[in-house]
Amino acid sequence: MEILVPVWPAVASARAATQRLRDVRGARIALVDDNLDIPFTTHLASLLSERHGAKIERLVKPSGTAPSPRELIDGAATAHAAIVGIGL
Amino acid sequence: MKLVSESLSLDDYDEAVELFFERGWTDGLPVVLPTRRRVEAMIAHVGRDPQESLGPVPPRGGEATIEKLAINAVMGGCRPEHFPVVLAAMEAMMDPAHNLNGVSQTTHMCVSLIIVNGPIARELGFNSRDGVFGNGYRSNAAVGRAARLALWNLGGAVPWDTDKSTLSHPGEYAFCIAEEEEDNPWPPLHVDRGCPPGSDAVTVFACEGPHSIFCYGTPEEMLHVLADSMCALGNNNMHVMGQTLVTLNPLNAEEFAKRGWSKGDVRHYLWEHARRSLSDVRACGVVHEQFRKMERDAGRYPLRYDLDNPTTRLPVTPTPEDIHIVVAGGRSYFGAVLPGWGGFGGFAVTRPIIRPAR
Repeated sequence: MEILVPVWPAVASARAATQRLRDVRGARIALVDDNLDIPFTTHLASLLSERHGAKIERLVKPSGTAPSPRELIDGAATAHAAIVGIGL
Repeated sequence: MKLVSESLSLDDYDEAVELFFERGWTDGLPVVLPTRRRVEAMIAHVGRDPQESLGPVPPRGGEATIEKLAINAVMGGCRPEHFPVVLAAMEAMMDPAHNLNGVSQTTHMCVSLIIVNGPIARELGFNSRDGVFGNGYRSNAAVGRAARLALWNLGGAVPWDTDKSTLSHPGEYAFCIAEEEEDNPWPPLHVDRGCPPGSDAVTVFACEGPHSIFCYGTPEEMLHVLADSMCALGNNNMHVMGQTLVTLNPLNAEEFAKRGWSKGDVRHYLWEHARRSLSDVRACGVVHEQFRKMERDAGRYPLRYDLDNPTTRLPVTPTPEDIHIVVAGGRSYFGAVLPGWGGFGGFAVTRPIIRPAR
């Protein structure tokens, strides 16, 4: 008997970063805030900037439970690195 | 019929069934094997282009083509006449208002419930009466499972992977009911939501499993216990509003109607009385406060509630219309409350069921 496959063929996985950061000092880092654990995210931002000298650009998602708006992703993409997925 | 799916040639039934487990193509139960003949019959019934797509199914984004949905519908146990219901349910779930991406991946326990309305429910033998959320009826089980398998195989909503539900509930296998429309004094759900009377429609709403409510007596007595059950502090609704579902059995509904209560009256009463004080809600902790802030920032938490005054009485939904009421089940003493995911999504979406042209 001929059985049809219920899934699509697997596609290529996410691309590797083109250039990894050697040091966060002086780097512009987009911190994508899921708007869920605000004190934690604030603490992380201050650690990165005050202790490690990074320049933090905090981008706040309207909702932590839905994908980021396109303009937020485009904004994060202009930084040297982005930190995403800060939930609870 | 030109189909594009990869196919396998297998002669042994047992081997074929086991292959679906080995490849991760099933939800933990055996499936009906999607043979070409069965899949073609499914597609032929709706008369649509097999490569027409309803869109990418989140979170993984596999295209929900008619062909792939037909394969999964066969696997779930559907007959061709069930397929229009499956398609309507998928269209509803994939509406952005439902936030299926979030529903499929949240740590919360919500699952998208499929509610079938219209003459098609009776014609296809959907259960709307005793044991409506339970087993025993092919249409409820097969349509419910077909949709879940599509989310599994096309959306990749798999536990320990993208599906982060902490505990989930058995509706992950199949979660589909029909509303009782004959033994019901009120207009059915889909008519409340704008569909013409006598039409066929599906409504999806992401919610917890049914919480039994001992609900019997005068309207005021029934409402007293329903309101108390709806505003339990463990509900997301109590912290970030959203939507909730109340299921009344036909005897409950009849009692309300005999005493002059419309469905809207019941909804308004519950909205006014299913409330907790801010001090009660705040006692749950700072994390809950943060969620409220996020919802307020997102414009989903009404500004009219003073979140600095501990005596403020907070409702479970932003408006009475966010309390959905369905009549289903046996004529008895029990109703059910099915809280939603809160303001984060899973909101009710209704789509017409398109019957094939004859």
